[in-house]
Amino acid sequence: MSVVFGGVELHRYLGENESRVHVLRGVTLEVPTGEVHAIVGPSGCGKSTLLYVLGLLDTPDAGRVLIAGVEMAGLDDTTLARHRNEKIGFIFQFHFLMREFTALENVMIPMRKLGRLTPLQMRDRAALLLDKVGLGSKLHRSAQHLSGGEQQRVAIARSLANDPVILLADEPTGNLDTDNSHLVFGLLKDLVKQEGKALLLATHNPSIAKACDRIREMRDGEFVERR
Amino acid sequence: MLISFAGITLGVAFFICTQAQTQGFERFYIKTVLGSTGALTVEDKFQPRFTNLLQARGNDIVGVANEQMRKYIAGIDNADQVMRVVREFSNVAACAPVLEGSVTLRTNFKEEVFRVQGIDLEAHLQTTALGEQIVAGDLAAFRAHPQGLLLGVELAKKIQSRVGDTVTLTGPDATPRAFFVSGIFQTGDNLIDERRGFIHLPAARRVLNKPAGITLIIIKLINPDRAPQLAAHLEDLLQHRTRSWRDRERGNLQVFHAIRISAAITVSAIIVLAGFGIFNVLTLMILDKTREIAILRSMGYERYDIRDIFLWQGLLIAAVGGAAGCVLGAVLTWWISRVPVRIRGFFAADHFLVSWSWTHYIAALGVAFVAVLLASYWPARRAARLAPVDVLRGAGQ
Repeated sequence: MSVVFGGVELHRYLGENESRVHVLRGVTLEVPTGEVHAIVGPSGCGKSTLLYVLGLLDTPDAGRVLIAGVEMAGLDDTTLARHRNEKIGFIFQFHFLMREFTALENVMIPMRKLGRLTPLQMRDRAALLLDKVGLGSKLHRSAQHLSGGEQQRVAIARSLANDPVILLADEPTGNLDTDNSHLVFGLLKDLVKQEGKALLLATHNPSIAKACDRIREMRDGEFVERR
Repeated sequence: MLISFAGITLGVAFFICTQAQTQGFERFYIKTVLGSTGALTVEDKFQPRFTNLLQARGNDIVGVANEQMRKYIAGIDNADQVMRVVREFSNVAACAPVLEGSVTLRTNFKEEVFRVQGIDLEAHLQTTALGEQIVAGDLAAFRAHPQGLLLGVELAKKIQSRVGDTVTLTGPDATPRAFFVSGIFQTGDNLIDERRGFIHLPAARRVLNKPAGITLIIIKLINPDRAPQLAAHLEDLLQHRTRSWRDRERGNLQVFHAIRISAAITVSAIIVLAGFGIFNVLTLMILDKTREIAILRSMGYERYDIRDIFLWQGLLIAAVGGAAGCVLGAVLTWWISRVPVRIRGFFAADHFLVSWSWTHYIAALGVAFVAVLLASYWPARRAARLAPVDVLRGAGQ
């Protein structure tokens, strides 16, 4: 299996002066295609920061981010935005859907930016993705009228809109009940396995972590060996 | 948002309405001026005077001269010749000679000094709007009566004279001559209506004791806007003082211009206030939408995409508010033009005068779009600069 993305000796500091914190302390990892890796650890250990750095939303103070073997350091905002649009799909604990838009419109948002499909093709693809996450009957329902689990499934469909190879999920089930948590995670895992994507997820949920291909435990900004 | 939208709509509507009114009065005044005194007047003859700056020695030719104040000779001696030259210009529609002077008008009740103009009626009718300005009596009676007299409406009121009355005019030779009031005219410009009267040119020669020459030639132009250029050319050619209506009425036109600018600035303040409203609304909206902005950025939207979203919001308000304002402005302008109001003074009008011009609508929309664009730009720029990772971490809220 080929390595889709990873980081080498990543360091990240947050805050200034006395409140400056060394959040990532030389983190190195690789995530191959078709695998789901979990990052576990207490709050504030640097899980989210690592996801933001790997997802090109944040810039490391030292170290390298590689996507398909290409170094991302030094790229301008436009190029980073294009990489995020084409290659990365984010799923957050809070779905962050556009409340006034329908499920279908929410899923079409990344496609509009990419601009490769016609409006009709975008609608068809968004409908297909929503169907895949079990929301084929709620395409035209506005986001605010969907349940928490349904909203998170719309967010998953949205993260897949441009068929990215990398999925980054920050506590994707953190806001869901047990049933919905397993439903959402099952969906993500199936997608990774079936479509050859790579998923890195940060979670507090031990049962979800256990179901991943690999678990990495983080403490104080670095990976520690699991006992 | 609704208040900002209403502000733009009302601002645009009031802008259009006030411009329509101020320009309506200005156009009425210009029409009155052109209809009573023509686009151009050719007046006194002048002689340019020069003094040589260098003295010639022997057979040397010296061409350096210093222009001095002109010497004016009152009136025009060769009026027919001058009018023949004037008529050669393609922009000239008609011209008419006028002999003007002060006379004393006496009735049984009152005595008044006013400016009488001796006219060639047919030429005058072709050159001015006198035919449309008669409010009592008629021109046929004036035409038929060699001692006919047309009085300005305010002057007639002042001396309590009516059509059919006989009055006496006394000129510089102190000989009273009887005249028959054949008609009363109203130009709408009270300065003219209370100081001017017309008699036939031959009668004026007798009253003013001027057997030859005239005071001025009134010229009607096909395109009055080109009057200043033609005036300069004619003055040079004819060696007579030639003034365009813009030159003659500069003071009043500047007043109108100042009123228009002042009205535009005052009304623009409403639009600017609406702009502040939009600024506030967009700023609050951006604070409310920081998560949405962050998620859009995480999905690959660039800074300029975010900026454009909020700029479009502003422009949408400007477009819809502006369009509604144009409709409301047109309705208000129409309504105001119907409001009966008796204006007497500088003007004489019985209702509000308005001018319909697409330039008012373009100007109003221009002010609205600039105000909204500026008001939207800063919040939009701020939205574009939001660091998505700060928002996602929770620090950006």
